[in-house]
Amino acid sequence: MAIFPLSSNFEGDFVIQLVVVDDAATMDEVAAACAVHSVNRRVAPRPGKVLRVRRHSTGEVFPRDLQVKSAGLMPTETIDVIFSDI
Amino acid sequence: MSKLASSEYYDLVRTTNWTPRYVAESELFPEAMSGARGIPAEAWETFDEPYKVTYSDYVATQREKDAGAYSVKAALERANYIDSADPGWVSTLQAHYGALAVAEYAAATAEARMARFSRAPGNRNMATFGMLDEMRHGQIQLFFPHEHTKRSRQWDWAHKAMHTNEWAALAARHMFDDMMFTRDAVSVAIMLTFAFETGFTNMQFLGLAADAAEAGDHTFASLISSIQTDESRHAQQGGPVLKILIENGKKDEAQKMIDVIFWRAWKLFSVLTGPILDYYTPLEHRKQSFKEFMEEWIIGQFERQLKDLGLDLPWYWDEFIRSLDETHHGMHMGVWYWRPTVWWNPAAGMSPEERDWLEEKYPGWNSTFGRCWDVITENLQKGREDLTLPETLPTICNMCNLPVVGTAGDGWNVKDYQLVHNGRLYHFGSEVDRWCFQQDPERYQGHMNVVDRFLSGEIQPQNLAGALLYMSLNPGEIGVDAHNYAWAGLGKQNQAAE
Repeated sequence: MAIFPLSSNFEGDFVIQLVVVDDAATMDEVAAACAVHSVNRRVAPRPGKVLRVRRHSTGEVFPRDLQVKSAGLMPTETIDVIFSDI
Repeated sequence: MSKLASSEYYDLVRTTNWTPRYVAESELFPEAMSGARGIPAEAWETFDEPYKVTYSDYVATQREKDAGAYSVKAALERANYIDSADPGWVSTLQAHYGALAVAEYAAATAEARMARFSRAPGNRNMATFGMLDEMRHGQIQLFFPHEHTKRSRQWDWAHKAMHTNEWAALAARHMFDDMMFTRDAVSVAIMLTFAFETGFTNMQFLGLAADAAEAGDHTFASLISSIQTDESRHAQQGGPVLKILIENGKKDEAQKMIDVIFWRAWKLFSVLTGPILDYYTPLEHRKQSFKEFMEEWIIGQFERQLKDLGLDLPWYWDEFIRSLDETHHGMHMGVWYWRPTVWWNPAAGMSPEERDWLEEKYPGWNSTFGRCWDVITENLQKGREDLTLPETLPTICNMCNLPVVGTAGDGWNVKDYQLVHNGRLYHFGSEVDRWCFQQDPERYQGHMNVVDRFLSGEIQPQNLAGALLYMSLNPGEIGVDAHNYAWAGLGKQNQAAE
């Protein structure tokens, strides 16, 4: 259990933001934490869509249940949070 | 006693030079300070500036300029223009003075570097006047806002800003330190006087002067046009220095200096001048859009000047042109959303008429940045101001120290140009920002941007209150929406009509 900073690049937003999560958080939890700072602030919610997390630099989409500490991310590394069908 | 006409003696005195006998040339002109780059003294002596002035002419002319600007101010003081000015215009002035006044004084140091350490006597001569110019600019841009300090503590920031860790002040100081405070005399001539002053400051001063006159702020209009007349003279030092570098085989080095500083200047203008011209200036007083001003002053004139000198357009020119439609919109939204962290009251610029104007000047704006503003507007109309204020920090570029922004909404394209260097992860807002870093990593690698400082624990407590404390932003200084969200009511009606 340790804090882990990430840079959230949320789909539809205009800026990347600092989002601090626990390194045991799953990607679903990371996406939700990122959504707090974008959805209903500058990004309209999209009911029926799932939020997925991908590594910004490569586009690699992470499994939803993958924990941050197992994703091979550097502290403050940028992730994209995107609306997806699955 | 008969006086010689200046034309009879000028060329002699402006090139006064000597061969030192008691110290070595290298002691008198250390390379780190003078930046002669192996070019011999005789070559430097060919420095020839287009606009020449004697000291006595300088004093007489400057005296007249000051008399003009100060008397306009005195005459208009009782009209109390500021009391009835649009709050967006007031914010324009507060942002301008805070960002510029003390930086002008710092530029006097840069001019002094040339005055003392340039190997070209003509450069040393002109830089002496340049130094006096910048002292004038510092003094006058501290004096003019001073009468307003009784109105609000935000006017204090004309002096205070550059003495704080407020994020926009940090961005400005990083840029100015890089461009002029920490450079040799030759680099100052090219980076400050050519790349920055010849290129960009015309925009802030003359473009803004046009809007100021439109807005009826004649005190400010006359002030900044007066300042710019000095600029046109001392900015000309870069050209002759460039000519000597190019003639002596240093074109690539000169080109790189210009490429770095031009982009850095662009980023600073995207956050200061962009919002001012496209969002804060009341709609009816906007002479041109930010992009139109840039096209006229930068793309038109600067391009020609580069070509005349035998230089190339910066390698990233196409990207620069593309970003005129994008960057400043993101910077504006960022400044507005994070408004508690700035010393002025950002005007949203989001009335229906203003949104129509933005759509006209930047086709597609409503389906990109407009989508974010739709959510913001709706939140305000639902009484959810809390959702229009930040609960985290933006990712900040490790070069320009500004938020990493891009196009939003339907055209979403925000990109972080990351770099791992010596085991540390850096973030950059553009490929060019990253390229600047890579040109001289040792120079930049140790700097900590605001997010780095936050994560390292330097900012305490680790919340908004702690950030405001760190930035020296007190109650009465913290930015709020310039118009108290009056524009949000109309927005909803306009959407319903559509």
